[in-house]
Amino acid sequence: MTTVMIRAVLLSVFAWLPLASHSEEPQYGGELNVVTVYRTLSALSWDPADWVWKQNHDTGMVREQLIGADLSQSVGRGGNYHFVSDAYLPEAAFRGELAESWAFEQRPGQGRVLVFKLRRGVMFQALPGVMRAREMDAEDVVFSYNLVNNSPKLIATYFDHIEKVVAVDKYTVEFHFKAFFAEWAYRFGYGYYSAIVPRETADIDRKNWKNVVGTGPFQLSSYIQGNSQIYSKNQHYWGTEQLQGRDYKIPFVDKLKYRIIKDEATAYTALRTAKVDIQESIRWLVVDHLRETTPELKWSRRLVETGKFIALRLDQKPFDDVRVRRAVNMAVNQREIVELFYGGHAELFAYPQHPSYSGYFEPLAAMPAAVRELYDYNPQRARELLTEAGYPNGFSFNVQVCSCNPGSMDLIPLIKDYLSRVGVELVIQPYEYASHLSLMTTGSHGEGYFMDNGHTNPTTTLRKSFGSGQTWNPSRYSDPAFDVMMATVYATEDEGQREALVRQLTRDILLQAPYLFLPTVYVYSAWWPWVKNYSGELRAGAVNPGPIYARIWIDQKMKKAMGF
Amino acid sequence: MTAIAAKAASARPARRGLVITFALKLWREKRLGAVGGILFLLFLVCGIFAQWLAPYGINETNLAYRLTPPSLAFPFGTDHLGRDMLSRVLMGAQLSMLVGFLAAGLATVISVVLGLASGYFGGKVDMLIQRMVDAWMTFPDLVLLVVVISIVGAGIVQIVVVLGLLYGIAGSRIVRGAVISAREQMYIHAAQSIGGGTFYILWRHVLPNIMPVVIVLFTTRIGAVILSEAALSFLGLGVPPPAPTWGGMLSGAGRTYMYVGPWLAVAPGLCLTIVVYSVNVFGDALRDQLDPRMKGSR
Amino acid sequence: MRYLLRRLLALIPTLFFASIIVFASMRMIPGDVIDLMLAQNDISTGQDRARLEAALGLDQPIVSQYFSWAGKALQGDLGRSLWKNTPVTEQLLERLPITFELGFLALLIALAVALPVGIYSAIRQDTAGDYVARSFSLLMLAIPGFLLGTVVMIYPSVWWRWSPALEYTPFMVDPLQNLSHMLVPATLLGLSISAVTMRMTRTMMLEVMRQDYIRTARAKGVGELTIVLRHALRNGLIPVVTLVGLQAPLLLGGTVIFEQIFVVPGMGILLLDAVSQRDYPVISGVFLVVGVAILLINLLVDLSYGWLDPKVRKQ
Repeated sequence: MTTVMIRAVLLSVFAWLPLASHSEEPQYGGELNVVTVYRTLSALSWDPADWVWKQNHDTGMVREQLIGADLSQSVGRGGNYHFVSDAYLPEAAFRGELAESWAFEQRPGQGRVLVFKLRRGVMFQALPGVMRAREMDAEDVVFSYNLVNNSPKLIATYFDHIEKVVAVDKYTVEFHFKAFFAEWAYRFGYGYYSAIVPRETADIDRKNWKNVVGTGPFQLSSYIQGNSQIYSKNQHYWGTEQLQGRDYKIPFVDKLKYRIIKDEATAYTALRTAKVDIQESIRWLVVDHLRETTPELKWSRRLVETGKFIALRLDQKPFDDVRVRRAVNMAVNQREIVELFYGGHAELFAYPQHPSYSGYFEPLAAMPAAVRELYDYNPQRARELLTEAGYPNGFSFNVQVCSCNPGSMDLIPLIKDYLSRVGVELVIQPYEYASHLSLMTTGSHGEGYFMDNGHTNPTTTLRKSFGSGQTWNPSRYSDPAFDVMMATVYATEDEGQREALVRQLTRDILLQAPYLFLPTVYVYSAWWPWVKNYSGELRAGAVNPGPIYARIWIDQKMKKAMGF
Repeated sequence: MTAIAAKAASARPARRGLVITFALKLWREKRLGAVGGILFLLFLVCGIFAQWLAPYGINETNLAYRLTPPSLAFPFGTDHLGRDMLSRVLMGAQLSMLVGFLAAGLATVISVVLGLASGYFGGKVDMLIQRMVDAWMTFPDLVLLVVVISIVGAGIVQIVVVLGLLYGIAGSRIVRGAVISAREQMYIHAAQSIGGGTFYILWRHVLPNIMPVVIVLFTTRIGAVILSEAALSFLGLGVPPPAPTWGGMLSGAGRTYMYVGPWLAVAPGLCLTIVVYSVNVFGDALRDQLDPRMKGSR
Repeated sequence: MRYLLRRLLALIPTLFFASIIVFASMRMIPGDVIDLMLAQNDISTGQDRARLEAALGLDQPIVSQYFSWAGKALQGDLGRSLWKNTPVTEQLLERLPITFELGFLALLIALAVALPVGIYSAIRQDTAGDYVARSFSLLMLAIPGFLLGTVVMIYPSVWWRWSPALEYTPFMVDPLQNLSHMLVPATLLGLSISAVTMRMTRTMMLEVMRQDYIRTARAKGVGELTIVLRHALRNGLIPVVTLVGLQAPLLLGGTVIFEQIFVVPGMGILLLDAVSQRDYPVISGVFLVVGVAILLINLLVDLSYGWLDPKVRKQ
């Protein structure tokens, strides 16, 4: 209690002092506590050969990749990019991390070759009992590629576009392609599975968290599963950050701590009482209240890169008829959902392309009338279409929803209500997470399947959901012409051409209305004002926040002045 | 009128009078327990007649009215989808009562049967039953519930059966303990020496003597079952939405909107607490009154 | 002594019978672990499924899977987590002491509250004190644990910018910090289970106090306190001891809620996560360890009957 009182006194005393210890000179030291965007998940695996999607999130500050994000182009620093996409980096925002430069060459007899020139003087951290600190070289890149490519858990076809990877000299690596592949950087560049690890880790137990080693700004010093992951500063890190014309060695903070907090209410409490400095996943529901109770916080928001929808099975009645599919879309008042249910914290149209995919995304206004109609509320027209299609008295259908998703569980009674007004009965069938997922992967889901599906990037968002036979294609959409076009997209080198093709494909899909489209929600991040050189960026590569945290400095003087 | 019929005719009013006399006695001597009983009865009645008492439907969403505080139109306010909380809480009473009574009843029957068999006969029967109880009780409740609910689907029946089994088998140990103690009493030895049959002894002597324990068991079970359902909802395993169980409302929207709309949590939370509380004090009082050995001494 | 050995031996078939049921039933739940793993990635084919199954040893018939697991378990090897590929034993050794600490602290608090209050209530039956004590105890029982926990977590942070510690510190690293972190959840958990123990204590105390031998003792002029302590307490404690034994599994189930709200990385959360991820070796491992713990506790309870109730000992 006394600490609270002291805080209150200090706060009131300092409240009227201009907080103008605005020395923009960055301070070294301090501890950064983060409740991350994957708040409830501990590390799933430390071994690259395990092919676990979350790995970069847990090791991206210890290991580095060939390509990362050019954070100097972030909106907070005056640029154009927010860097919040899960796994998409536009080419214009690429920055060589471990690679200094790269270029495609066309070699007679060898086809397309991607040549990387590596950065010199980059040192691997020392790992007692395994290796001394030494310089990274091309052999390590080859080793890292082979480690994932030869793993028994390899995802088939993931690296099918690569013939072989060769170390030409100490600082040059060549990727020999079978043919050009547009997603090359996503697959091995800045992607989920392209961390560079030292050759010495070939025969050690990589599953052990103590053996995580790389070239990055931090080292993993403590891991308590379900509680915290603590990273300590790597004193010999090669990277620097330019602030006000000067170069500073990074990282600034001594310790970076991931705090795993399963309970939502507890996580907000941790933020409110400054037990954590940054929280990256705040639901829109609590934003107003948090702003009220904790006005000192700074905010940013992002439109999630996830589509929310009810997938309608095209291979079964009644949704084999496009008129029925269009009808249910018109029967639901998506605009009202945005205004009244989400209180404005949502966007009407953000799927399958995400508004941040400039060049690939077309706004609703630019879409043909037949697509725009789907997002208008027109129960009258819906009834007409249903009658036309042979369902004058409506029909009943099952929707399987995951009880693990509170947003969906809240929405579905609303949708049920809207549909009942046009005579369609929606039967809600809740399932627990794994069971719900299984329904889709085994193809035993019902006429309606309520789900969230990540975009990933402008090309994957279409391929994974609408390519024939894909796992994440719950509507069983299958169009040979589409599949052919998708393959063409992947083989198209010119981005402008690719964008045009993708835009066309997106329109085609929307016209077919394979889903009951629902609005996309905003999610918020908040942080205390002593967190500097940060404006809400999330990822500098596929689920990789390492470079972002390395550039943050804590204004410890301000923190103390504020009573924490 | 024959003498027998006359006697029968005069006996009936006497029996009715017995219940009323008992109730009055309870009121006089155990005020708190009586109040508890009345409260519980009130909730029971609300639960039974929920459909008629509810002013609105439980699933009538109306976004324009979402999260309005309690008012004349909506005495308990509305939830985040604009549904009337009073109606939902009333239906919740029905669901909670149903689940509570059925599961607790099942549990008590199981406990008594197993406890009696195990405690009275001892020896091999005891060993066998206790081994089974042990095996059962090594199951963490959670695994059992996830398994059953995932295989058979979530629903009231499944939850009733599983909770009934869970508490029933666990409770048999308490009954067994009481039976073991009772078994050694003087009058049991006396009855056995007189030559009373096993069933007769169990029915006339053992059962009435462990009745206090059984009654308390039943009443605590009702409360425990209702609370368990709430906890299951918190973990995502309870009766699934949009069914308006108190537990579901409390652990779902209640917790989420605790700041902006505390009435979402207060209404079901208060009801839950009151029901569990009142059923427990009532059970206590009932036991005190029923057990002949409790009265009059000291 | 022979009785003890017999009981210990009897544990083994019980455990394995139960383990078979859990092993089999986990596989019956829809939602395969392979589906979950494959679903992480955007592209996967039938080949991937077969390869993953082989890599995880799940392509064997279930019977041989069970026997290979059981065989290794007898040697102390509980297999490796399907997701993390770390030994299950390691994970359990990390988490079990944490849950045990939480449960033990809660039990201490529960008994510290329940026994005195129960005895007091029995001795001063039907006085105001009795009513107040019982009412408070019942209130703690009636309010759902997660509600109490949430209220404790939310409102102080809004009103006073205070919250309990939200990070677990191992006891060996900093005992004071560790205890202060566990204190709030242990207290809430303890209070909520104290009610049942208190009621049972009171009930049995009341029964026992009316026994003939108590009357005799009183008639002989033995002091009230002596009566309570030496005679009434001993016999009244039998069902209470049963109840304490029963609390063990309930505590392991009940801790989940407080583990979640107060960030205590214990077995409850481990189990919950493992179930939702279908991590079979972890689930079986947790179940086995929990089972052994509970069975041992029950054994202790049975043995204590003999010590507490001399009439039973004669059996």
